[in-house]
Amino acid sequence: MVSTVLVANRGEIACRILRACSEAGLNSIAIYANNDRESMFVELATTSVELVGQTIGETYLDQQQILAIAAEHGADAIHPGFGFLSERADFAKAVLDAGITWIGPSPLAIEMMGDKMTARKTMKAAGVPVIPGEEIDFEDETKMIEAIVQASTRVGYPLLLKASSGGGGKGMRKVENPDNLVESIKGARREAVAAFGDGRVYIERMLTGSKHVEIQILADTHGRVIHLGERECSVQRRHQKVFEESPCPLMTAELREKMGQAAVMAAKAVDYVGAGTVEFLLASTGEFFFLEMNTRIQVEHPVTEMVTGVDLVREQLRIAAGQPMSCGQLMMRGHAIEVRLYAEDATNNFLPAIGPLAVFRPPTGPGIRLDTGVREGDLVTPNYDPMLAKLIVWAPSRPEALQRMRRALDDFVVLGTTTNLRFLRELCDHEDVVSGNTDTTMIERVWPDGWSPQFSSDTLNAALMVAGVSESAGLHQVQSTITSADNGPQSPFQSLSRRYP
Amino acid sequence: MQHEFKFAGETVEVTVARDSERWHLGDLECQIMTDGRLKININGVGKFAHAAKVGDVWWVHLDGHVFCIEKTEPGSNSDAAEGGMVAPMPGKILEVLVEQGQSVASGDLLLVMEAMKMEHRIVANVDGVIAMMNLKEGDQVQQGDILVEISE
Repeated sequence: MVSTVLVANRGEIACRILRACSEAGLNSIAIYANNDRESMFVELATTSVELVGQTIGETYLDQQQILAIAAEHGADAIHPGFGFLSERADFAKAVLDAGITWIGPSPLAIEMMGDKMTARKTMKAAGVPVIPGEEIDFEDETKMIEAIVQASTRVGYPLLLKASSGGGGKGMRKVENPDNLVESIKGARREAVAAFGDGRVYIERMLTGSKHVEIQILADTHGRVIHLGERECSVQRRHQKVFEESPCPLMTAELREKMGQAAVMAAKAVDYVGAGTVEFLLASTGEFFFLEMNTRIQVEHPVTEMVTGVDLVREQLRIAAGQPMSCGQLMMRGHAIEVRLYAEDATNNFLPAIGPLAVFRPPTGPGIRLDTGVREGDLVTPNYDPMLAKLIVWAPSRPEALQRMRRALDDFVVLGTTTNLRFLRELCDHEDVVSGNTDTTMIERVWPDGWSPQFSSDTLNAALMVAGVSESAGLHQVQSTITSADNGPQSPFQSLSRRYP
Repeated sequence: MQHEFKFAGETVEVTVARDSERWHLGDLECQIMTDGRLKININGVGKFAHAAKVGDVWWVHLDGHVFCIEKTEPGSNSDAAEGGMVAPMPGKILEVLVEQGQSVASGDLLLVMEAMKMEHRIVANVDGVIAMMNLKEGDQVQQGDILVEISE
């Protein structure tokens, strides 16, 4: 039985999980760092406990402190969300050792999928296709280089070197031709040692022009393992997804069944329990290859929820409590698209931005869902990830979903902090997105010299008039309080107050 | 009423006239709604705009676009906010090489800051004397903060 869930996360996903707990009639505990004390998620829990410490390492990543809070406040389950401790096998094990239910797969499953070479070997053994390449079993640099050089003639160019403990592009190198190979191996190894304390590197053929297609799976403790169809997440910038949809525009029922079965086999190979995602590269030939398995709930889970009608987080809670999953025969219905709203400057290499959310008015209407952890008046700080919200739309067909997304993005008003809203809006008009012809290099291919917004002089003139009238009438102002006596760095956002005419 | 703004590096003068509930600028016409939005006619089509002022900048949302329009005082020299004298992004001051009252020449290195794990060198954009400099090593700065002011 589970009665009190501690959510070891913050922001948007903490809100998502805490609301699911509330709907399921469970008590919940939010934990928060001091700089999050006014964040929305803190309000959504039955009990909220402040973490001691300043840095992320001292707060959201402090396993001992989190376990102590769980014990003191009677948590009998911990949901890790995504990021932070969600894929840390040692934490999952510590939670279980403390007699608390871990809402996720076993520590062994996390470990086997977390080490990429082990995952490749496990998948090959289970009959799941992997990207052509070779595992390299040497830790010694000289032997590793020798083995990779030999393997490179079999794998072919261009190729990718990947750190076995890698993630987020760290310890990864593209190699276009043999001249750069040795230098690149050394670089990848050095980076992997620095980032993960593990210098093991392996080799894969680089599959250009592929789509990123992933399969959502659910597995319960009653022996049922199902897939919930695919999500396509090809549109990425700096290895991060910005536009996700389900179904994949090029999917066929036959291919979905093949990929779905491969994902189910992957999950069964590690005795998976809970919600997970098996990521594949889908080549233009229709061949697909295992990329990795994410052993947690994913950022883009809402698109699957919209097309299948399954509440994935509620299912996680059910499965963790030892109940069978509640969903019966599945059917995918209509089309869902998610875009990620980031506080970032799309005109300047997507650099994170900060500021007050002086106005934050999300769109409303049929088929629109907003998952967010912020509200009007909040400050966007450099302390955490710059993702502000996920805007998800559902419509009966893909063209209608795109139309709805365009309308929703036009209606979404965020002032005071630079966001990628306009970039997302123009993305929805791009011919490759309209035709569904997206691949993982799309953003670099379409905007090699960066993106800048397109607007008419009429619109600009009208905006200047709005500024002129607003200034004349003394409209909505977010006051800045800067005292010259203050020796510290001047922040224009020290206090917020509002004035209407 | 006449206002001076800066948009995308260009100074723009905007003169709006009021006629009871309606405001005019050339052919453009708008009115202020009770909730603080502005209704503006563009080529005969009514659009609703949101505006909010943060510091000196008017953020305007209109027709799916956001414009950042800075209010400047007519005739004022706001060049101090140009050419890398403001923090290009949130970050930390690594090194301070000048102090208040010191003479500097255009191109002199004033500060080194770290932002997004990259080092940024802040150099003088004019010849002059440091008029304002109250940062020290390790200080956190926000995007757009004025780092150094130089009087010519």
